[in-house]
Amino acid sequence: MQAATMDPAEETPSMLWGLDPIFSAFARLYVRDILQMTESTQVPGIYFYNSHPIYKVDVLGTVVYKRERDDFFCYGVDDGTGVINCLCWKNDLLKEEANPTKSGGKHSDGAKGGFNPATELEKLRQAQQSRCHLDIGELLRVRGPVKTSRQQREIMASTYYKVNDPVMAVQIAWMMEVPQLYRQCYDKPPQLQPTATGDSGISSLSKATNTIKDFFKQQSVSRFRPYDVQDLLQPLISSQPQTASANQEPVAGPSACQQLRQLLKEALQILQDEGIVYRKVKSQDEVYHVTAHDTDLRIAVKDIIREDSKREKYAEKGCHILHILSAVRQRYSLNVNKAALELILKSLECNSDIVSTSDSHYTVF
Amino acid sequence: MLPAAAVFHFPWEVNSGAVQEGESVRVFGRLVCYQPEQSRATLSAQHAAKEHHVAVHTLFVEPFHSIIGAQYLVLGEIENADGDGVMVRARVLNCVDGVNVALLQKAITEQRSFFGERECKQGDAALPAHAT
Repeated sequence: MQAATMDPAEETPSMLWGLDPIFSAFARLYVRDILQMTESTQVPGIYFYNSHPIYKVDVLGTVVYKRERDDFFCYGVDDGTGVINCLCWKNDLLKEEANPTKSGGKHSDGAKGGFNPATELEKLRQAQQSRCHLDIGELLRVRGPVKTSRQQREIMASTYYKVNDPVMAVQIAWMMEVPQLYRQCYDKPPQLQPTATGDSGISSLSKATNTIKDFFKQQSVSRFRPYDVQDLLQPLISSQPQTASANQEPVAGPSACQQLRQLLKEALQILQDEGIVYRKVKSQDEVYHVTAHDTDLRIAVKDIIREDSKREKYAEKGCHILHILSAVRQRYSLNVNKAALELILKSLECNSDIVSTSDSHYTVF
Repeated sequence: MLPAAAVFHFPWEVNSGAVQEGESVRVFGRLVCYQPEQSRATLSAQHAAKEHHVAVHTLFVEPFHSIIGAQYLVLGEIENADGDGVMVRARVLNCVDGVNVALLQKAITEQRSFFGERECKQGDAALPAHAT
């Protein structure tokens, strides 16, 4: 057991495990590595191969040991690097084999041709049984989480089946593929840092705008003030000084607050430019309206198009977007920009409230 | 309870003394001879212009359908029989006739070189760790 035994302190925190794509995949590890992986001290049932958190594996090997119980098979699988026990539960179809004569009477009825569900089910059961019932020397593919029971590692099969491999094509392909997987994935150290150090400025800003956008999607807020959403961005700020230098936190305290405000200001500017939010009135009291949830603006735009489409000038083609924009600015709010109007028009059209007659003309029927 | 892992070996390695007695191996080869009354079979393979033979003890896998001239894969333990050289006591004997032997050899070499590479790297990684 010369596998790198990891210091518990070095273990990546469980919060970050999901960032490693290998964590949610069935890792095609060699049995030797599965047996030697270190188990996590935080969460039993999670193992570490080369700092990659792993809990389910995918194995192909020869059955060299077999034990049958009422509910499960226990197969010892040898892939040429190690042997591991695989606990393979029998499913209900397999257990039914005790009374095979159950559907015997129905066979003759449907034998005249046509589809007989009973015979088909019987065929399926037989096929499944032949795939699940293996003898020593046969090839087994098994996927499932790794468990340690009685100090022995085993695989709790979530899927398992016999592999028909008369000319070893599957085994050879597997033997060629696994080293590549190791080189490209498993043996590369995982990158689980929550923020990349290089472009943290850019990424935190786009993260901030996305956070606010998600918030709008989940909560139907129509109006807000900056301090209402400020807390949403707090995690983006506090994670930065930690990664830079953990011991400078007291110094970073006041500047973190400034950073937060600056980030919020920039994010809101981007959202305004994109038309996601707008300020109906520019005053000391910074109130932002969420374009998508602003029913007043929707009604205003709809009314404008409805009224102006009746005018002779616009009757044929409908109103041009710039005409609508200037009308909205005159009648509703001076601060609505074109991006915001486009969002509104798109959503109105999705509701069939308005109809576009060209890419920039809208009308109401 | 579980047997040891049977590591792939080339037929020409079995008799060369590279594998110890009791070690588990898996070896491929063409069945050239089978004597059921003695439970003895012989696999053969060509390598470097020489024919190599592997003696197999087949008591545990009998009865099996023997096709002389077909490719077989054997899993078993190395045994030093009295007098007549190394023998593999088969646990598994599968007929794999039609196997692409060249590709299989390549796959075995590939797997070995991967493990070699990895041990090298681990050795490298271990050294600086010791130094600190």
